[in-house]
Amino acid sequence: MKAEQVKGLKPDGSFADNARRIVKVRVDELYALAPKALDVDRPKKLHDMRIAAKRLRYVLEIARPALGKGATDGVRTAKALQQLLGDIHDCDEMLPRVQAHAARLRAADVDHLTRRPGRNARDLKPGLAPTAPGADRNRGLETLAAHLAARRRVLFARFEREWIRLEARDFRGTLLAAISPPEPEAPAPAGGAGP
Amino acid sequence: MAKAKPIRGLAPDSRFRDAAAAAVSVRATEVFTFADAALDLSDIEGVHDMRVATRRLRAALEVFAPCFPRKAHADVLKGVKDLADRLGQRRDPDVAIEELEAMAKEFAPADRPGVAGLVEELRAEQAAANETVARALADVQASALPERLQDLAEAARS
Repeated sequence: MKAEQVKGLKPDGSFADNARRIVKVRVDELYALAPKALDVDRPKKLHDMRIAAKRLRYVLEIARPALGKGATDGVRTAKALQQLLGDIHDCDEMLPRVQAHAARLRAADVDHLTRRPGRNARDLKPGLAPTAPGADRNRGLETLAAHLAARRRVLFARFEREWIRLEARDFRGTLLAAISPPEPEAPAPAGGAGP
Repeated sequence: MAKAKPIRGLAPDSRFRDAAAAAVSVRATEVFTFADAALDLSDIEGVHDMRVATRRLRAALEVFAPCFPRKAHADVLKGVKDLADRLGQRRDPDVAIEELEAMAKEFAPADRPGVAGLVEELRAEQAAANETVARALADVQASALPERLQDLAEAARS
């Protein structure tokens, strides 16, 4: 996913002003992806949201010297979100891999068993099945696939709860407020303390 | 995972281009300190540290992009991305092996052979990816990427 370009950056401007501008774009990007990523059947969007969380985290890390503690809190949240989305993504990557591995072993077993009774065989004895080389090597792959599919569901439910929690505490608004420039000091009232 | 080195002398009112120079210079130096450890298959933290360092460097190059000469920036960024991709090819099987081995320990012994077979397949990928990282590190030197990064950092100041 290509990052949205940040417009109006000024190399001769201050680090803090430019950093705020970038953070704003990155946090908006994260929020824009959330509705689609929260659709359980759109793992690609979830992956995009992970990348957006990572980009936000890294810009906040870089800008910490300019933006102070507000950035540190944002880093913590973005990192936790990135980690959670990364764990879900790992399940999405590993599950098809396990299934493909199991399918390869099964195909090799089928080839092996097909050759066993000879070319003119009328049928195949079930007793030959345990002689297939994959009979042992396949053990546990179904358990592993079930674990990964279930883990994905558990983590996704956690992501849903986590996002509701972030919205409830207005993560975006709080972050942008925390990194906003300090209020200029109010000028002293003219003419002393008044009547 | 190695902690990022602090970048000294940065303040909110530092010029953006000075922050760019400092950040890219420090992050670039950091990446190449992990080069020797990255090829060690007995300790997967080396390649992880280098990959994380390349991510931080890449982030700095992207955040501060407007401060650099366009062509030099694009060339250097491509070099860093290539290196990061190839480190990622090694890191992916590292992580998968570690996770699968941890899961297998929790499974019943009868269910472990299948996981072990998958780990075996991943180990072959890991070894091949290590060769890829070795070539990537050689390419980095041949293309003088560390020097070009420092030149780019310096160019940001003016």
